[in-house]
Amino acid sequence: MQDLTRRKRFRHLFILLFTILIFALPLVLNNNYYLSVLVIIGIHSIVVIGLCLLMGYAGQISLGHAGFYGLGAYTSGIITSTYHTSPWVAMLVGAIGTGIVAYTIGIPIFKLKEHYLALATLGLGLIIHIIFVEEVALTGGPSGLTRPIPYLSIGGLELSNDFKYYYLVWLITLLAVIIANNVVHSRVGRALRSIHGSEFAARSLGVDIGKFKLRVFTLSAIYASIAGSLYAHYITFISPSPFGLMTSIQFVVMAVVGGLSSIWGPVFGVAGITVLTEALKTVVPQLIPEAGGEYEIVVYGTILVVIMIFLPEGLISGLANLYEGWRHRKGQADENS
Amino acid sequence: MKILEVSKLTKSFGGVTAVNDMNFSVNSGEIIAVIGPNGAGKTTLFNLITCIYPPTSGSILFKQKEIRGLTADQIAHLGISRTFQNLQIFNNMSVLENVMVGRHTKSKTGLLGAIFPLPAVQREEEAIVQSSLEKLALVGLADKALEAASNLPYGEQKMLEIARAVAMEPELLLLDEPAAGLNPTETRDLVEIIYKLRDQGITILLVEHDMETVMEIADRIVVLNFGNKLAEGTPYEIQNNREVIAAYLGEEGLSC
Repeated sequence: MQDLTRRKRFRHLFILLFTILIFALPLVLNNNYYLSVLVIIGIHSIVVIGLCLLMGYAGQISLGHAGFYGLGAYTSGIITSTYHTSPWVAMLVGAIGTGIVAYTIGIPIFKLKEHYLALATLGLGLIIHIIFVEEVALTGGPSGLTRPIPYLSIGGLELSNDFKYYYLVWLITLLAVIIANNVVHSRVGRALRSIHGSEFAARSLGVDIGKFKLRVFTLSAIYASIAGSLYAHYITFISPSPFGLMTSIQFVVMAVVGGLSSIWGPVFGVAGITVLTEALKTVVPQLIPEAGGEYEIVVYGTILVVIMIFLPEGLISGLANLYEGWRHRKGQADENS
Repeated sequence: MKILEVSKLTKSFGGVTAVNDMNFSVNSGEIIAVIGPNGAGKTTLFNLITCIYPPTSGSILFKQKEIRGLTADQIAHLGISRTFQNLQIFNNMSVLENVMVGRHTKSKTGLLGAIFPLPAVQREEEAIVQSSLEKLALVGLADKALEAASNLPYGEQKMLEIARAVAMEPELLLLDEPAAGLNPTETRDLVEIIYKLRDQGITILLVEHDMETVMEIADRIVVLNFGNKLAEGTPYEIQNNREVIAAYLGEEGLSC
């Protein structure tokens, strides 16, 4: 079918444009602060792309993804700082380990639905966070891992500055986008979306919904774990605080803001929220000098509510739909006049 | 050959017995209609056959094999497909993609294959598109393949559900009130489609309230009332059955 091929070409064109943008951006913005923000956007995008596969396509929620993000970070941090293995091996161990944890815990958890599932995943995230804080001998407890975590390196080239790390992170983000795109437009992706559309109908067509929910949950946990490993080797120090409930909520907000049922939404959602957070860090202390970090919760909450009310499909598709609607109305008005 | 044999089937929801000690069988290649007043247990019967929930007692044999205790998705793999009384269209997908989900049991790409689409995976995908388009052509929706399924009018959504259900090439197709809400033209089209499916060798079991359609297409009719089987027979026999007339029109209906 011609239209179908055209749509596929269009998707590939988008990926190509995105690749060019990634490579060009640091050449324009070669300021270390901007680069470090972009690296964090890339790392968070990987988590949120995985989360969107789970939330937007399969229609399941997770409020515990910061836990998987942390599992990746801690596995990488502990293995490389204690046993001095290659960070790449540690990243792989983290991804496989997190995948096994997600799969095992997913078996009972995915018997639940909606609010109950949200609570179960929230509990899971909290438990993982408590382990980071309490297992002092292994994780260093609340003050974090004191042993130094090495930088990542490729064939002797140590990725110790933002410029080099930027390219690594965004290359992996690009890979994450391509894989997610392949999954979404496949038999598996259709099965996932059918679960979201109608579990009744999906089952009547032979989709083993439990199996597919579990697999996409595992895949999204692996995405989070890899992002966590990248974070650990970028900051080279980890403590439990970035892997708590607040981060899980932040990921969900980013996913919703970007648009759940889209592969590109996450990147824009993450970029939007991260830039906003950074901006607030400079603006808020000037307005309210005694404000703590809690204002973030207020801002995230407000954004979530506003998006859910006005742009339920997320920023990108929502704005596109608004534009379509406006063009449609304008077309009608032109016909009438 | 008997493709489906229901014997002593009972389903209770708390104190309510929705299906009571039901016996009937379906021969391969037949069109069987299940009729009965509202609340007679027709949809419950469908849900039991497709294993949406388990029966309280009794057995259901599909091709001489007990299907009690299987899950709804395993039933589909055996070759039983269905449509729903309340439309269950995947509103988050295009018309074509809806039908493509119907090819789920006939294809096998897993998560790894989806992540790395090697040529074999791409060939399978093309085959899915081709056969799905054929099914859409069968119900007259080929030109709407790329539209959002949620944008179709009601009648076309019903046709889409049929296309999706037959995409898996089932041996037994269960249609739950396929003519409900259709206009006369659409009902004619539906009858033609049902005949085409029967000619392809699909056995059809349908629940329907539109008596004209039922009497026209059914080889045999099973009448339910309050969870019990009231009568079974050819359309002619059913039309002249006193108990059936009483159930539909009330006892007074007989006196005039």
